[in-house]
Amino acid sequence: MPNPIKPEKSVVTTCAYCGVGCGFKAETRGEKIVRMIPWKEGKANHGHSCIKGRFAYDYYNAPDRVLTPLIRASIDDPWKSVSWEEAFAYAAGEFKRIQAKFGVKSIGAVSSSRCTNEEIFLTQKLARAVLGNNNIDNCARICHSPTQFGLTQTIGAGAASQHFDSILQADVIMIVGANPTEGHPVFGSLMKRRIREGARLIVIDPRKTETVESAHCKADVHLAIRPGTNVAILDSIAHVIVREKLYNEAFVHARCEVAEFENWKALVGDDKYAPEVIGPIANVDPADIRRAARLYAGGPNSTIYYGLGVTEHSQGSTGVMCLGNLGLSCGMLGREGVGVNPLRGQGNVQGGSCLGSWPHVFSGYRFVTDHATRSSFEAEWGVTLDAEPGLRLPNMLDAAVAGSFKGMYIMGEDPVQSDPNQHHVIAAMKNMECVVLHDLFLNETSKYAHVFFPGSSSLEKDGTFTNAERRVSRVRKVIEPLAGLQDWEITVKFMNALGYELSYDNPGEVLDEIARLSPNYSGMSFALIDQIGSAQWPCNKDAPQGTEVLHREKFPRANGLGTFMLTDYVPTAERTSDRFPLLLTTGRILTQYNVGTQTRRTPNSVWHPEDVLEINEQDAIARGLQDGDWVQMSSRFGQIQLRARISERVNPGVVYTTFHHAKSKANAVTSDLSDWATNCPEYKVTAVDVVRIRVPTGTASLEAARLEAAE
Amino acid sequence: MAQTNSPTQGAEMPVMALDRILSMANQIGDFFAPYPPERRAEGIRNHLRTYWDPRMRDQLLQHIAAGGAGLAAPVIAGAKLLQDEAHAKPGYYGPPKA
Amino acid sequence: MWHEVRGLKDDVDLGTPPRDGPPVSLEIDGQPVTVPAGSSVMLAAATAGRAIPKLCATDMLEAFGSCRVCLIEIEGRNGFPASCTTPVAEGMKVKTRSEALTRLRKGVLGLYLSDFPRNEIPGGWSEFHETLKAEGITSHPYGEGGANHFDARVDDSNPYFLFDPTKCIVCSRCVRACAEVQGTFALTIDGRGFESKVVASQNQPFLQSECVSCGACVQACPSHALVEKSLFDGEYKHA
Repeated sequence: MPNPIKPEKSVVTTCAYCGVGCGFKAETRGEKIVRMIPWKEGKANHGHSCIKGRFAYDYYNAPDRVLTPLIRASIDDPWKSVSWEEAFAYAAGEFKRIQAKFGVKSIGAVSSSRCTNEEIFLTQKLARAVLGNNNIDNCARICHSPTQFGLTQTIGAGAASQHFDSILQADVIMIVGANPTEGHPVFGSLMKRRIREGARLIVIDPRKTETVESAHCKADVHLAIRPGTNVAILDSIAHVIVREKLYNEAFVHARCEVAEFENWKALVGDDKYAPEVIGPIANVDPADIRRAARLYAGGPNSTIYYGLGVTEHSQGSTGVMCLGNLGLSCGMLGREGVGVNPLRGQGNVQGGSCLGSWPHVFSGYRFVTDHATRSSFEAEWGVTLDAEPGLRLPNMLDAAVAGSFKGMYIMGEDPVQSDPNQHHVIAAMKNMECVVLHDLFLNETSKYAHVFFPGSSSLEKDGTFTNAERRVSRVRKVIEPLAGLQDWEITVKFMNALGYELSYDNPGEVLDEIARLSPNYSGMSFALIDQIGSAQWPCNKDAPQGTEVLHREKFPRANGLGTFMLTDYVPTAERTSDRFPLLLTTGRILTQYNVGTQTRRTPNSVWHPEDVLEINEQDAIARGLQDGDWVQMSSRFGQIQLRARISERVNPGVVYTTFHHAKSKANAVTSDLSDWATNCPEYKVTAVDVVRIRVPTGTASLEAARLEAAE
Repeated sequence: MAQTNSPTQGAEMPVMALDRILSMANQIGDFFAPYPPERRAEGIRNHLRTYWDPRMRDQLLQHIAAGGAGLAAPVIAGAKLLQDEAHAKPGYYGPPKA
Repeated sequence: MWHEVRGLKDDVDLGTPPRDGPPVSLEIDGQPVTVPAGSSVMLAAATAGRAIPKLCATDMLEAFGSCRVCLIEIEGRNGFPASCTTPVAEGMKVKTRSEALTRLRKGVLGLYLSDFPRNEIPGGWSEFHETLKAEGITSHPYGEGGANHFDARVDDSNPYFLFDPTKCIVCSRCVRACAEVQGTFALTIDGRGFESKVVASQNQPFLQSECVSCGACVQACPSHALVEKSLFDGEYKHA
């Protein structure tokens, strides 16, 4: 085999992993994908890639891929393979029976950021137009819902203000609760390129991440805060900006609500947010808080990128507002090189947010309570729609436990593994009479499901994704769907089975419907994207090829002005105690992706075969721990067993783990606390203790799991 | 504002556990604490109106009618504004307005 | 500032990164072309449809000037500068083809060919193979018994790609991609002269090195020395 075999065909598509949304050329021989080459014209990646998109695509072909629909009357029964028609009829019959017995609102739907815009839109259409309620949510609920809320309050748009390339004009880069070189690697490379050119770097993160220090890239200031003190530290940075008058008065007077600015100044300017007060609370040097504030305010171009380390807190939305406040006060919005930007975790989190998979808003973030908006959807869909907000995903689970919620259509999610307080989620699942799961593989949630629709991977369907910079790119079918139907077809046929007549020739017609009903997407079409490669919303009459930088002239709020929210620090109820003296925080690693559904089925597990617990040497010594020892970690909610790794990346008092492997059940210990505004779970702070154990209970199964993962 | 026609609306079964409702409501109250009393109440009211399922709001109001034990006073004041449609601001359910 | 990444095109390799300067006009083989200041002669030639053969240059990386295949002649200047490292100048007259250039390129490509596994020339489709074909190089005058790297061991430690040093032409594209594009700096050139070789980290297998398996080096490699395992059926061994 001296020379490689040349691929026969190549299709340009968009990566299914993180929120960077890299363009790839998927190359095939016959019906087999043999290579993914990063697309040089991909505007999010410019020909670069990471291990996941470039190499970890073979999961689509994994031996345990489910290829036929499955049903069962009880979760104690074995699965029965059935035809598509039978599966649709059974699921529809059950949903109708449940609604007749328990009411219209006893059923809901959840879509996934792993799905296309078209599929997400169809799923909310299914909930609103067919099930007749607003019990529709998506997995952004548990990651970036505070972004939508917090940014909308301050700057009017719950999305990144910039395009990725904007960072190449930044002088100061502030990264808060994100680790781009692991979580968003291709953007991380772009960021490093700019840092090598001389940009200064501020990192706010409890952990000394790879972003803090790597080859030719070192943070000028690293605020290694105690988990849960984001709002305190950001208010303290604001305090320095206010007290030292580092704010941009001209910008504030031209572009913001000045009275609210004054209110904000009074709040954060109070002595209680002085670095000397907050430093000890957040466990950082007050001088570093001042340095960070001066660097950021000094610019001239300062930009903020943030991740789930900001949002996944009981004050997640408040933390996002703090960032909006900072950007406004220093005039770091509305041009290239600046901005406030969420780094979205999954490929289509932004799309999930835009397309109305929320219980309170339609696509384009317009409230279901608004008569005019609702009427436009009623006219298009030919039904009367519920005028009241529905249940959020965590509330659906709460309601299921209470017995008022009985059925769920889950498209491309695994809430049992990914949602917090696993015991509560399982109790909710067990209490439902019909859980319809639509996925590629049986997973933790399928143990409690009654119907399984075998879905199509993103290599097997057409549609669009919206990445973290609001860029809408095409997902193109590379091979035929292995189970026979593309995901959007499955949802449409399920709607048909439920008695709602509709059909589309292709998902481009769904995008056309989205465009008709959503002002920010009104110019989007398959034809436009095919022609110009991709387009960032807003894409409409005024911006026919999309918009790279938001807020240039005004903010999309009623009066066009940005505003300041009062962001008092409220410590989380999750506190350390004698019994649980350590704070656990969680994160992702480069080679694995979220709950691992895809990456665990690829050789990526060679790099990360299991989740480990990072612990500081000081805490390890106090517990008699050595590197590699098995430990039991317990919280108020549960306990798990995993291996310890002694690490200088975490400070004393803090431990860290990833949540990629189902067997380690990281979410068995995470708390039931959530963001005050959006119920986004507080994954990033759990009080725990760690003790050494000799041999893990059920070692055999753990070893088996690791072997299985490594295969 | 049109009302929904859910058969379960007003039914005796609570939509979810009461302690969950109370802790969520108190968290909302905590956020609006730095605002002056009138804006604080309006902020709480707007948030509940815009983001909460009506059955959750009903459950909260029923608990308030029964004494409101465990709820912070400003939360009760804000939630009570839900009962008076005069506070409805069509098309606007954002943060408290200046 | 960002034209280097934003100006890339899918189906053409301009050879050096696109630039964003004021326009500069010059002639390539008598044909007028205008490109931004700061562009290389190689980019100007590619833009004019007179692409110059190259091995160590590609438009995702800064010019390096090591392979000596892209030599040109410039009117009024001595010698045969590399077109990748030569910036354009107003009124410059460039010749990309001449007898002398053909002879020089043939010599250089023959040297590369002499240290490339002979049986793996037929059927190859890498940039190196395509360049040999385009320049009509099928043999070299250096005999068979000379020093070579044919016994170098394949590193197949990474699950996704392998490194076969026998096919490596030490152009440093992988090393530069790891630094400039990815920013990891996992690769380097170890040794000097004929002993030069690409190594990961401290001469470790790729899997044990700092390599993050982003694939930038594999994409940059012009000779399929770094290549995706998925492109092969069955075991990898030399013909």
